[in-house]
Amino acid sequence: MIDRNGHRWGAALSAVVLYVGLIFDWHWVAPAICVALGIGTAFGLRYSPLGATYRFVKRSLSLQIPVVPEEEAPPRFAQLMGFAFLLVATVGFYTVENMALGWTFTMIVAALQTLLASTGLCVGCEVYLIGKRFSARGATT
Amino acid sequence: MIIRLLIVVGVLLACALFALWWRRREGRMVEAHGLFDRRDLGIGAREAPCATIVEFYGEGCAPCDTVEQRLDKIAAEVCDLRVVRFDAGDRLDLADRYNVRRVPTIFVTDPDLRIVWRASGVPTEDAIKKALLGPEWAGRPNPAQEPAESR
Repeated sequence: MIDRNGHRWGAALSAVVLYVGLIFDWHWVAPAICVALGIGTAFGLRYSPLGATYRFVKRSLSLQIPVVPEEEAPPRFAQLMGFAFLLVATVGFYTVENMALGWTFTMIVAALQTLLASTGLCVGCEVYLIGKRFSARGATT
Repeated sequence: MIIRLLIVVGVLLACALFALWWRRREGRMVEAHGLFDRRDLGIGAREAPCATIVEFYGEGCAPCDTVEQRLDKIAAEVCDLRVVRFDAGDRLDLADRYNVRRVPTIFVTDPDLRIVWRASGVPTEDAIKKALLGPEWAGRPNPAQEPAESR
């Protein structure tokens, strides 16, 4: 179980970093957030640097925000999606040197993170649940 | 830099518009048609709850827990209301039959198990109660709200 608030905070933080990156043409934001999402995907969201900032702020300011428990698997899959998109963006920036490719994939992630932060709609989680249903359907047929 | 700034503003604007549309749509009770099979719901032929709410939930779905809590609260308040829950992953047959695309999805039926309303997402407690007891309600009146002399 993870704290849903931490998940949304992490999304907001990464979206802000990606938007600022586009404004100042900082290509490094894509691999930086890609690594942060990759850590959460590989080792679990409790080790995600983005989620850690939420716990740090909450503890530092003694905020009494109740924990909203959430199953870890769907958000972890969502982070995997973000990781994959930002990996493509990183390849676009540094390998094929196609800025349009890099920024397009970066902005897709930024937009999805904005939606998660502002509405709680986790597109990656929805994709995970749909995929799970399809795999269950495949197993029964 | 201006162009980059405009792109960011454009993406944020698109997100805001989508978020507004999503919030309006999320959890909204909409009229629906169809009929549940008593055997599917485990309701006997002689049983006649004043209304039935059928909820499709999913494993690891946080909004489903919120809906479950709201339905439990309403079930405790509304007399003779039956709440039936299905794991959409376990009951793919039912999910397909009733066109359940995402979880949570709830259906409100009349006493004959005809589907009257449905909602995907997390409807407010008021929205569910209005669907159950409001003027559009197609089922019989809620016995808990009938005047004493008419019982």
